[in-house]
Amino acid sequence: MSDYVLELKGITKIFPGVKALNNVQFQLKKGEVHALMGENGAGKSTFIKVITGVHKAEEGEMFLEGRKVDFRGPRDAQAAGIAAVYQHPTSYPDLSVAENIFMGHEIIKNGIIQWKQMNEAATELLSELNADFQATDEMGGLSVAQQQMVEIAKALSTHARIIILDEPTAALTKNESEELYRIVDKLREDGVSIIFISHRFEDMYRLATRVTVFRDSQYIGSYDVDKITNADLIKAMVGREIKDLFPKPEVKIGAEMLRVEGFSRLGYFKNVSFAVHAGEIIGLTGLVGAGRTEVVESICGITKPDEGKVYLEGRPVQIRKPADAMKQGIILLPEDRQKEGLILSWGLGRNVTLPTMGKYAKNGFNDEKKEREISKQLLEEVDTKAVTIFDPASSLSGGNQQKVVVAKALGQEMKVVIMDEPTKGVDVGAKAEIYQIMGNLAMQGYAIILISSEMPEILGMSDRVIIMCNGRVTGELSRSEATQEGILELAMEKSK
Amino acid sequence: MAGKSGRTIANVPEKSLKKTVLCWEGMLVILFIVINLFCGGISPSYQFANVLREMPKYLTEMFLLFPMAFILILGEIDISVGASVCLAATFTCMASNQGLPFGAVILVCLLTGVACGFINGLILTRFQELPPMIVTLGTQIVFRGIAEIALGSGGSVSLSNADGFRKIAGKAGIVPYILFVVILMAVLYSVVLAKTTFGRSVYAIGSNRMAAYYSGIPVQKIRLIIYTVTGFMAGLAALFLTSVLYGANTTTGNGFEMDAIAMAVFGGISTSGGKGRLFGGILSGFTIICLRIGLGQINMNPQLILIILGILLISAVLIPNISAKLKLKKKAA
Amino acid sequence: MKENKSILKKITGSREASLLIVLVVLCVVISMRSPSFLTLKSISDMLKNNAVIMIMTLGMLGVLLVGGIDISITSTLALSGMTAGMLVKYGIVENTFLLFVIAVAIGGLCGFLAGLIISKGKVLPIIATMGFMYIYRGLAYIVANSQWASAEDLGAFKEFALGSVFGINNVIIVLVICYAVFFVVMKWTKTGRMVYAVGSNREAAGISGINTSSVELMVYTVMGTLAGLCGALAVSIYSSAQPNMLYGREMDVIAACVIGGVSMTGGRGSVAGALLGSLILAIIAKALPLVGIEAIAQNTVKGVIILAVIVLNVITQRVMDKNNLKGREM
Repeated sequence: MSDYVLELKGITKIFPGVKALNNVQFQLKKGEVHALMGENGAGKSTFIKVITGVHKAEEGEMFLEGRKVDFRGPRDAQAAGIAAVYQHPTSYPDLSVAENIFMGHEIIKNGIIQWKQMNEAATELLSELNADFQATDEMGGLSVAQQQMVEIAKALSTHARIIILDEPTAALTKNESEELYRIVDKLREDGVSIIFISHRFEDMYRLATRVTVFRDSQYIGSYDVDKITNADLIKAMVGREIKDLFPKPEVKIGAEMLRVEGFSRLGYFKNVSFAVHAGEIIGLTGLVGAGRTEVVESICGITKPDEGKVYLEGRPVQIRKPADAMKQGIILLPEDRQKEGLILSWGLGRNVTLPTMGKYAKNGFNDEKKEREISKQLLEEVDTKAVTIFDPASSLSGGNQQKVVVAKALGQEMKVVIMDEPTKGVDVGAKAEIYQIMGNLAMQGYAIILISSEMPEILGMSDRVIIMCNGRVTGELSRSEATQEGILELAMEKSK
Repeated sequence: MAGKSGRTIANVPEKSLKKTVLCWEGMLVILFIVINLFCGGISPSYQFANVLREMPKYLTEMFLLFPMAFILILGEIDISVGASVCLAATFTCMASNQGLPFGAVILVCLLTGVACGFINGLILTRFQELPPMIVTLGTQIVFRGIAEIALGSGGSVSLSNADGFRKIAGKAGIVPYILFVVILMAVLYSVVLAKTTFGRSVYAIGSNRMAAYYSGIPVQKIRLIIYTVTGFMAGLAALFLTSVLYGANTTTGNGFEMDAIAMAVFGGISTSGGKGRLFGGILSGFTIICLRIGLGQINMNPQLILIILGILLISAVLIPNISAKLKLKKKAA
Repeated sequence: MKENKSILKKITGSREASLLIVLVVLCVVISMRSPSFLTLKSISDMLKNNAVIMIMTLGMLGVLLVGGIDISITSTLALSGMTAGMLVKYGIVENTFLLFVIAVAIGGLCGFLAGLIISKGKVLPIIATMGFMYIYRGLAYIVANSQWASAEDLGAFKEFALGSVFGINNVIIVLVICYAVFFVVMKWTKTGRMVYAVGSNREAAGISGINTSSVELMVYTVMGTLAGLCGALAVSIYSSAQPNMLYGREMDVIAACVIGGVSMTGGRGSVAGALLGSLILAIIAKALPLVGIEAIAQNTVKGVIILAVIVLNVITQRVMDKNNLKGREM
C-alpha cells in the first residue's frame, strides 16, 4: 500500500534539557538515494540513531514497507535490514577485516567458527567493492576510506535493504570520494535504498534524487534535487539570508600580528606559511583531515612541529608548550570543547579562571574571591545562560558551553585568537552571538584565525580565506575572490 | 560590552548546615566516634594514653596516604609504595650498621625513597602511553627485588645501633613525635591540595587531562613532582617504621599500598580521578588506625583484620557506585 | 616502499613469531652451557614446576583481553589449595578427584565474586582484586588455623603429581588440556571472539548486542576457576599446603602475559602468545643460575624484563606510527 520503504512520522526525541528532534518526518522510496541535509546540530545524527534503534524516540511512528515497527535496540534494526555506516566507523581495531564484517552473525557450524568460509565470503564482498586490501588484514591498520568500505561490506553481508551513510565523504580524498560514488551507484542498481548525509553539495548533486532538510531539530521540507536551486537550499538549511547571520564589521586591517613560516610536522602538514594582521579575520578551511587543526595546535605548543618558525609582531617566538603560547597572547579555542575546552564536571567559574588562576594567586595560593568576581564578569560579558558560576559546565547547552570557552579566552591577555570550529553543534541563535563576539574582537584589534568546515561561515566572516588540502596550503583567496566553488576546488586540488 | 540581555549570574557560594553534615566527611566524623566507642566497648585497655602509645606503628602508613590521595585525584595509582618503603628501610638499616652518622642515615633513607618515586615518574612521563598501574607493578618487583639482593640469603637485617632511631621514636609527654609529623604533613598536604594553584591543577588533570593541558597546565611536570614526592614520603615512612621495628626484612612494607589506597578511597577520594578531599582521607585513616588498635588489643587474628580492611576497601568504592545507580533509577522512574 | 613496509609489518606485527625466535635462541644458548637442559626429563620437570603459573596465565589472558586485571589470583589459589590440604589432613575427603572438584569450585566462586563486584558494581579491577587479594589470603590463613599440611598429611593426594599416563606426567596432561581447550575456545568459538570484541571496542560490542558485563563476569569467573584448579595442583606438586603459597607470584602471571604480547588495555593477545610468554619466563628463571645470576636476584631480573618489554612495546608502536605517517603522501 505504501510507496515508501521507510517512513517516519512525528518523531520527537528529548535529551536532558534539549529537544534533539521536534516532530520530524521522513520518507524514503525504494531504490532511491535520499540526501539528508542540515547544519551541524540540526538533528540529523540523532535522527539516524532513531532509525537504527540506538535511540528510542519519545513520540512518533516508524513504518518499514508500510508495516509499523518498534525497534528495541540496534539488533532489531539490523534484523530488519537497516544498516548504518558512520563517518568514523565504530569497529574493532584489533580484529581482522573478515571478523569485523561478520561480527554478530559469524558463520558457525557445531559451535565452531568457520574461519575459512568467513574469509572467503568476506573476500568476495570486498572484491565486489573493488577493495585494495585483504579480508585477513587488521582493521586498525586501514585508512578511514578502507574502514568505511568494510562497514559497507558489513551492511551487504547482512543483506541490508536500507543503508545509511553518515557524512561518508567528509574524511575522504577526491579519488576516494569517486570510489564511494561508484559503490553507491552499484548499491542503488542492486535495489538498495540509501540515506546519505552530507555537508557537501557536490555529493548531493552527484548522487541524490531527493533531499530532505532539517533545521534546529525540525523538519523543513523535502525537495527534488533537480528542482531546487543552491540558494534556496542554503536558505532552507540556514533559515535566513547569509548576510543577516554574519555581522562582519568593516575593520581597518593593521600591522602583522602572527606569521608562521615553513611549518611542517611529519604526516600532518608540510611547509605551511601564512600571516594574520591586527583586526583581520582569516578563515582557515579545507576538508576534514587536511591538517588545519594540527597546524594551529602546533602554533599553540600543543604538539611539536618538526620545522618552522613563528613570528609575533615581527619577532620570532619560541613556543614549546601551551603555556608559552598563552604567555605570548596566542589563545586557542579548541575544536572539541567537551574534551579539550572545558572540564565538564566543574563549575563555570573555575573553568573560566583555569588558565589564569596563577595570575590572580598570591604566593601560589588561589584568590578565590577575585576569581569569582572575574569569572562572573566574563560570563556576563558573553551573555551565558546560567544561574550561578557554580553550575557545572555539563548542564549547559552546546552554544552556552562555547560561550564559556570564549569567556575563558577573554580572561587572558590576547593578541591572536584562534577559534577552531567555534559553532560546531551550536544552535542558530547562539551562533549569531558567537559571530557577534568574533566581530567585536576584530574591531578591538585582535587578529583572528577562524577554522571551519562550514562554507557559509567561512565566506561570511573572513577577510581572507586560506585553503588547506592534504597538509599543504593550496590557495589563498581574498574576501571578494572567495566563492564556495573556488574554495572547494582548492580544498580537493591535490587529492590523489 | 556587558550582557546584552542584562542577565546576571550569581557568584556567591551557597552554604547550608545540612550539606556540611550530610557530606561524606560528616559521615566519617560520626563513624570515627562510633568506632572509638566500639573499641572502648570491646577492649578495656582502649584508653587515650594506650592508643597514643600504640599509634606510631600504624601512623607510618599515613605518610603514604597523603601523596596517594594526590595520585588518585590525578586518576592514577601507585602500587610500588610498599616496595619503596621496603627498599628505603633496608638501605637505612644497612647505612646505619655501616656506622654512618645518623644525619647521613636519614639522608640515605629519604634519597632512596626519592629515587624510587623519581624512577616511577620518569618512566610515566617519558612514556605517557603506559598505564601507571602496570608500570608501578613492574617497579614494585624491581624495588623489592633490589632489597632482596641487598638483604642477602638471610632476608633480614637488624639495627646494631638504634640510638638515633630511638630519638625519633621518642615522645613529648605522652604524644609521640611521629604524631606531630603526621599532623604537620596532613595540614601541609591538605592546604596544598585545597588552596593552591598546584592543588587546583591536580584536580583539573584528574577531571579532564586534555582540557587541563590545553589550558596551559604543565601536566607532565606535575605528575613527575607528585610521583617523586610519593617516593620521598615512602622514605619518611621507612624512617619511622625503622624506628619502631629496629630492622627490615623482605616483607617490610607489604600491603602498605593497599592500606594507603583503602584509606584514601574510604575517605571519599574517587579512584577515577578529580574527586575527593584530603580531609576525608585523613579522617578515614585515623578511623582505620583506631579500629586496628582496638581489634589488636583484643588479640584478634591479624589476618581477620586484613580481611576486614579488604572488605572496607571494596565497599568504600562499591557503595557510592550502587547508590548512584539507584539514584539514577529513581530519577528514570 | 610498499614491500619494505610489509616486511616490517610482518616482523613487528607477528608477535608470536618473534617470541618463538627468542625462545629458540634462549634454548640454544642454554643448552650450549648446560647440555642436560634439552633432555626430556629436564623439560618435563620445568613444565611441571611452572604448570601453575602457565595455567593461570591463560585466565589472565582473558582478564587482560577485556581490559581488566586480577591480582587476587594467588590468594584464591592459596585459599582453595589450603582448603583441599586441610580436608586431606583431617581425613574429611580422601578422594583426589573430589578434592580437585572442591578446589575448582572454591576458585570459581572467588572469581565469580570478584567479577560481580567489577562488572556489576563498576569497581576498578585493580581496587577490587586488591581487596580480594587480602580477603582470600586472610581466609586461607583462617582455614589453616596456624597449621599446615605436610607431605605425610597429604597421602594419596600428592601421588597425583607423581603419576603419569602413557609416560606423561599428570600435571603436564592437565596443562596441555587447558591450553588446548583455551586455544579452541578463544580462536574458534563465539564466546572467545566475544571476549576479543569487548576488549577491542566495548561500546561497539554493547551496541551489537553483546552483554559486555556478562562477558566481564565470565572472564573473572574463569580466572578464579583456573586459580582454584592450580590451588589443588600446587598442593599436589609441592606436596605441602601452606597459607602463604605462591605469595606475590601473580606478578609472574602478569609478566608472562606482558612478555607474550597481551595488551594491558585490552583486545590484543593470543593463547600462543601466553604460552610463549610463560615458557620464556620459565626458561629465563632456569637459565639465570647458569649465567651466574643468583636465585636471589630473580625478582629484580623479572621486574626489569617486564619494564623493558612494556617500554619496548611503546617504542615499537611509536616507530610504527611514525612509519605510517611517513607513508602518508602530502
